[in-house]
Amino acid sequence: MDFDFTVITSHARFLGSGIVTTLVLSVASGITSLAAGFVIALLRLYGARWLRPVVVLYIDSMRAIPVLVVLVWTFFALPILTGLTMPPFFAALLGLTVHLAAYVAEIVRAGVESVRPGQMRAAVALGMSRAQAVRRIVMPQALVRMLPAFGSLLSITIKDTAIASVIAVTELMRQSETLAGQSFQPIEVFSFAMLVYLVMLFPVTRGVDLFYRRVAHLGRS
Amino acid sequence: MTFDWSVVWQHRDALAAGTVTTILLTVATMAIAVPCGIVVAILRLYAWRPIAALATAYVELFRNLPLILVVYWAFYVLPIMTGLGLSPLVTGLAALALNVTAYNAETFRAGINSIRRGQLDAAMALGMSRTQALRRVVLPQALRRILPVLASTWVSLFKDTSLVSVIAVTELAYVAMQIRAQTFRVLEMLTALAAIYWLLGYPQAKLVDWMQRRFVVTE
Repeated sequence: MDFDFTVITSHARFLGSGIVTTLVLSVASGITSLAAGFVIALLRLYGARWLRPVVVLYIDSMRAIPVLVVLVWTFFALPILTGLTMPPFFAALLGLTVHLAAYVAEIVRAGVESVRPGQMRAAVALGMSRAQAVRRIVMPQALVRMLPAFGSLLSITIKDTAIASVIAVTELMRQSETLAGQSFQPIEVFSFAMLVYLVMLFPVTRGVDLFYRRVAHLGRS
Repeated sequence: MTFDWSVVWQHRDALAAGTVTTILLTVATMAIAVPCGIVVAILRLYAWRPIAALATAYVELFRNLPLILVVYWAFYVLPIMTGLGLSPLVTGLAALALNVTAYNAETFRAGINSIRRGQLDAAMALGMSRTQALRRVVLPQALRRILPVLASTWVSLFKDTSLVSVIAVTELAYVAMQIRAQTFRVLEMLTALAAIYWLLGYPQAKLVDWMQRRFVVTE
């Protein structure tokens, strides 16, 4: 078998734009799902009682439906329902956020619940309001404990952006697939894509691990 | 806007067949990935250094690649490498098994490592041999801890089988999207697709929660 990796260099811009889109989509959906997930978790933990079953139903539904189906539904079915068409990138951002926010919410809940309830009671007994106690006592400890889980979720996010290729978002997976089909050199193109994903994902998982080891003591109580 | 939900019922046979393929794919992948995962974990923990390093490299590689890329890779590259004309189903199964084996190997390794060394020492101090201590003291506790993780890998796998639709394996997602393309009932078919996954996946997710509560290990 002969390999000819010039197909990569001669399409550097095409693949490069895919890499940029993958990164932008990863960061954007990371931020939106983090924000949405926090709100959902706080609603579940401290919100009105009637809200809780709704939030739990949403979270468990997202654990049951494949992200591919969420993305395809958001891109193809949602415009029919609302009459608004979205460019693929925003459909992917929306779909990924709806999916990942449920996982963020679970991580936040687990983190908050891992802080002993006695701490909350002690803070309230010292005269803090519930909101103050959550902000000053519970959250700082819980946040540190959530870090490793957020790290793996970030790597899941990057991997999930590849599924957006199915709804024609021109990220790395999509560009590789197109180039592999046009150049008839799938081995070279997909090997390059694998390498790029590894280079993107390794620092994330390792970096979060290292960072956590440095701050882990702050989460102990 | 008018919706015609009868299209879902009209295609019930195809959808049922797709659902069966999805379930079979999940079962077959797990049937391959559990024993292979144990082997890889043991190689990583106890094998000769270079072999252990190879096992580690395999696990890290597949845990850090998007599954959909592995599916495409298997589809294009396996036939060239092996010279065999593999069916999409076998190709999809291979890609899923490669991926899940890596995750299972990590689960088994973590499970064995999670049992404190002191337990092994204590068992041996009581006169057990190393294998006895592993078999009677370490593994039973490790397995209890692993079970909920394996269950949640199962649920992830069940959902991830939808990704092999991109290489035309006739599982649930592929079948539903084919019907969508033929009938143009986009919203109905995609909603039905999500609903079927929900009906099957929701009880599984709840079962995982129950297992996580049930199999808590406190040393």
